[in-house]
Amino acid sequence: MIYENSTTILSVQGLHASINGTEILKGMDLTVKSGEIHAIMGLNGSGKSTFAKVLAGHSAYEVTAGSVQFEGKNLLELPPEERARAGVFLAFQYPIEIPGVANTQFLRLAYNTVQTQRGREELDPLEFDDFVREKMKLLDMKPDFLDRSVNEGFSGGEKKRNEILQMALLEPKLSILDETDSGLDIDALKIVANGVNQLTNKNNATILVTHYQRLLDYIVPDYVHVMQAGRIVMTGGKELALELETRGYDWISTNKHSIAGEVA
Amino acid sequence: MSEIASNDYLECLLKSWSIKPTESQSWLNQLRSQAIDRVSAQKLPTKRDEEWRFTDISSLTHLPYRPSQSECALQASDIEHLYLNEAENSLVFVDGHYSPELSKIVDQAALVIGNLPEFLSTHSATLECHLGQYATFENNVFSALNTAFLRDAALILVPKNVSVTRPIHLLFIATQQEVTSYPRCLLIGETGSNVTIIEDYVALQDATYITNSVTEISLAANAHARHIRVQRENTHAFHFANCAVSLAHASHYQSASISLGSHISRYNLDVRLLDEAAECIIDGLTLISDRQLADTHTCIDHVKPSGTSHQQHKCIVDDSAHAVFNGKIIVRPHAQRTNSSQSSRNLLLSSAAQIDTKPQLEIFADDVKCAHGATVGQLEQEEIFYLESRGLSELAARNLLTYAFGAEIISRIPVTSLRQQLEQAVLNQTQGK
Amino acid sequence: MSAVLQSLVNQPYKHGFVTEIESDIAPKGLNEDTIRLISAKKNEPEWLLSFRLKAYQKWLTMTEPDWQNVQYPKIDFQAISYYSAPKPKKKLASMDEVDPELLRTFEKLGVPMHERAALAGVAVDVIFDSVSVATTYKQKLAEVGIIFCSISEAVHNHPELIQKYLGSVVPVGDNYFAALNSAVFTDGSFCFIPKGVKCPMDLSTYFRINTESSGQFERTLIVAEEGASVSYLEGCTAPKFDTNQLHAAVVELIALDDADIKYSTVQNWYAGDENGVGGIYNFVTKRGLAKGRNSRISWTQVETGSAITWKYPSCILRGDNSVGEFYSVAVTNNYQQADTGTKMIHLGKNTRSTIVSKGISAGHSNSSYRGLVRIAPTADGARNYSQCDSMLIGDQCGAHTFPYIQVRNNSAKVEHEASTSKIGEDQLFYFSQRGIDAEEAVSMIINGFCKDVFQQLPMEFAVEATKLLSFKLEGSVG
Repeated sequence: MIYENSTTILSVQGLHASINGTEILKGMDLTVKSGEIHAIMGLNGSGKSTFAKVLAGHSAYEVTAGSVQFEGKNLLELPPEERARAGVFLAFQYPIEIPGVANTQFLRLAYNTVQTQRGREELDPLEFDDFVREKMKLLDMKPDFLDRSVNEGFSGGEKKRNEILQMALLEPKLSILDETDSGLDIDALKIVANGVNQLTNKNNATILVTHYQRLLDYIVPDYVHVMQAGRIVMTGGKELALELETRGYDWISTNKHSIAGEVA
Repeated sequence: MSEIASNDYLECLLKSWSIKPTESQSWLNQLRSQAIDRVSAQKLPTKRDEEWRFTDISSLTHLPYRPSQSECALQASDIEHLYLNEAENSLVFVDGHYSPELSKIVDQAALVIGNLPEFLSTHSATLECHLGQYATFENNVFSALNTAFLRDAALILVPKNVSVTRPIHLLFIATQQEVTSYPRCLLIGETGSNVTIIEDYVALQDATYITNSVTEISLAANAHARHIRVQRENTHAFHFANCAVSLAHASHYQSASISLGSHISRYNLDVRLLDEAAECIIDGLTLISDRQLADTHTCIDHVKPSGTSHQQHKCIVDDSAHAVFNGKIIVRPHAQRTNSSQSSRNLLLSSAAQIDTKPQLEIFADDVKCAHGATVGQLEQEEIFYLESRGLSELAARNLLTYAFGAEIISRIPVTSLRQQLEQAVLNQTQGK
Repeated sequence: MSAVLQSLVNQPYKHGFVTEIESDIAPKGLNEDTIRLISAKKNEPEWLLSFRLKAYQKWLTMTEPDWQNVQYPKIDFQAISYYSAPKPKKKLASMDEVDPELLRTFEKLGVPMHERAALAGVAVDVIFDSVSVATTYKQKLAEVGIIFCSISEAVHNHPELIQKYLGSVVPVGDNYFAALNSAVFTDGSFCFIPKGVKCPMDLSTYFRINTESSGQFERTLIVAEEGASVSYLEGCTAPKFDTNQLHAAVVELIALDDADIKYSTVQNWYAGDENGVGGIYNFVTKRGLAKGRNSRISWTQVETGSAITWKYPSCILRGDNSVGEFYSVAVTNNYQQADTGTKMIHLGKNTRSTIVSKGISAGHSNSSYRGLVRIAPTADGARNYSQCDSMLIGDQCGAHTFPYIQVRNNSAKVEHEASTSKIGEDQLFYFSQRGIDAEEAVSMIINGFCKDVFQQLPMEFAVEATKLLSFKLEGSVG
């Protein structure tokens, strides 16, 4: 939701990034304020997932120009774990499997690390167990999932729920959901969307990276940005997503920037 | 077996070598003489050699095996039942000697196909590059012997971008007793070519003899080859075979080797993935009974990155037979993104049957996916019970399950008539009880 | 990734210091006189001397094995001193009388004996070089009839037991290094659990090699009578020397009907430096005989040290329904080499064995699993399950698997599975995106990888093993 007097959480200016010498991001500009939900849409290869990974600090990508300010700090000079501790959360498009490491163990370590950073008390295994089970109800998850190895043998839907559970635990300032809707059937999609909706408030912000409009039926964005060839070419309100759904991405090429300019 | 006996044996074999090097190709004469040197420098392996730990071949030395004679009394009608319907091209070798009368060649225009000596003058340079270059004999006395005796050989060269639609049948028939024959095959698949060969060993007599064969296969970039190998020698035979395969960039080798015959058999298959993105699929089935011993040693060597290999080897062992499987997978340094799987599944049908299996991984690169597994056991009691509960007798249930165990490999052979013959062979074996 | 990994790995060896204690060292070299000297020094009975001499004669006829997947320069057996004993000023009656220098050594090792003994209820038989200098809790154990003492003591106090069992599982001529050990062993532990007794505490020995170029040849013998059970812990550390030291121990376990022996090892001998200089050659023969019906022998090992490790703790499953287990974690880094595994010899009916082996290789090291599962014709209904997983960290190291499966009985069922994995960049990024740094991520992944083995260790050993692994691999992931 757009609030008056909200503070700027993320400010991206003229961001260029490449992988193995190939430039993917070619001048991204984006400002996200507290309370807002932004959707970034675009075809495969438009650079939207790259943008998500660059914000999280993936080492495979090299930032060649531009700046990223996160709550007034230069995000680009922080290693990935510092960004996470500062409140940047990426829900992975393909959550990684970690055989042998129990989910509960992983979640607790991540939770306690971030808690310590925020000057709060760590939870011991028993306290954490109560805490995490409460959060799991939000996402309609089975308890046995805590004892399984991280993402190993999880279905696509379980993996995505696990991502949102982590988001619920870590209480990030900025959540970036990378294609969170892919691989979900409609029931699972509703559960995940409901989880995300409950976690958004006027102090945090969310960026949804998605190819399809259907997620946006359940998580209503304040802004919709369309990416093409490494930059945002069009920005609008939630109705832009519907427009895209009916007219297709080709329509963008001919109407570039026609609605742009509403966002600072 | 004493070393002296073994060396005498090899020396006798060499002395019996009566073929004089008459070819004008000096490289071939040189290859043979190098091989002779290597025979002299080596000993017949014993059970003390790690590679021959379970296979005792000392009984070889008790019989003086002459080289086979080249005269051939067979008529095409004698071997009518051995031809395969699907194959238009058949090269027939009797006791290791090429028989032009029994062979059928139709693709003379599109391919280079026939007996090696016919092509020595026309394709000398190409042959020199390939012959004896893959099946090394430095430390392999059987390869060395075969190379020393090298004369006739099945030669197939599939030119660039030629796709041979029907399988080529290489038929090796044993007719003489107490002789050694030295079959040899060379398949060269040029860039983008595609071929299926069937290497088939049969006997038309019941006495003892030795087959010592060497097959070399070289596939250039993007070449595809399917290699079906059927060893159905008689049960008094000794069968020693070495097959070496060299794979270039994104080439694809698929093999199925079926071992049914021989008193003692040993098959070495070495596949080297020498360039990126090469692929191989290797299936094996050993089905033996009585006092047969069948030993399969395979080595899949991933030299370059992004290679794929999948191997499935099955043994069904009955009576006092003994099956040996040693499957080595090597992933060399820097052969990253290799994906390799291997499974060794073994079924023991009687209390005296024996199995030794050793699936072996040697990995020197970190970004790889390798898995292997081995099982030894009987038929699952649960499965037998399930079939019994559907009205089958216990025997019928066992036969069916044993058949199904072997048929999984056979069903992947892309030549219908051969598949049927093999299915029948498995059926005979499983229902012989 | 390798940059972070590399920076984490190269931790200096924490236990590298030499204790200045006056030692009584035999001249270097091996011949019959050396053996007679050892025997005389230890005031041994005639039968033991002839046991040693028989082994020595056997050893002379044997050649050093070369089939294992390790490389090392030839050992000069004449350059080794075969006896080295600290000279205690007087007979020791209690821990308080132990040389304080020695106690400090153990403190540096992180083994506060009295504390450990008192707090954890562990009886520690301390082996310093080759002579047992202190045995705690002996009294308490004696009350239930358990004998826990040094082998030398047992030779004098319980000669009938030693004569009966010594060499009964590992014959004097079993292999090259076992023969050598049988000829020259200086001390070790003896443990006897009589019929029906469950040992009330975990028994523990801490081994440490101190004197430079003294081979350590200790000998351990554990006998559990009908229905008895014991859990035995062995920990090993050694100071740093540039030369390589030989450690050729023999461990024999015997379990009678319904008896249960669990033997756990954490081995952290000096592994040599980052260039592969120095370090222990650890050539050990460990074998358990599950002699009785329903008996069980379980080996658990965490092998992190030594320049070369060459050992195959084995089980001979002779009794019907007997059980053999082998749980192993082997970690190699720098230029370490490990060739380790087990042998499960199934002789009795319905015998069962389980093998879980986890190998982790980093740096330029090589780690091999070599295992034999043999099902004899008599072993009706035998079962084996083996799982051998390897993890590679970096692309300069190697992991090898050599499983030998020999089945001579068709009612047996044998299953073997193996896989390789790595610590991937993607995994580390996932961790870091959740705020967890690389070091912690690696330690978590590795502990997860080794979980099945660590679960088998007694609590304090598991904690120690976890720490050890983290140290060991610090800097190799990144």
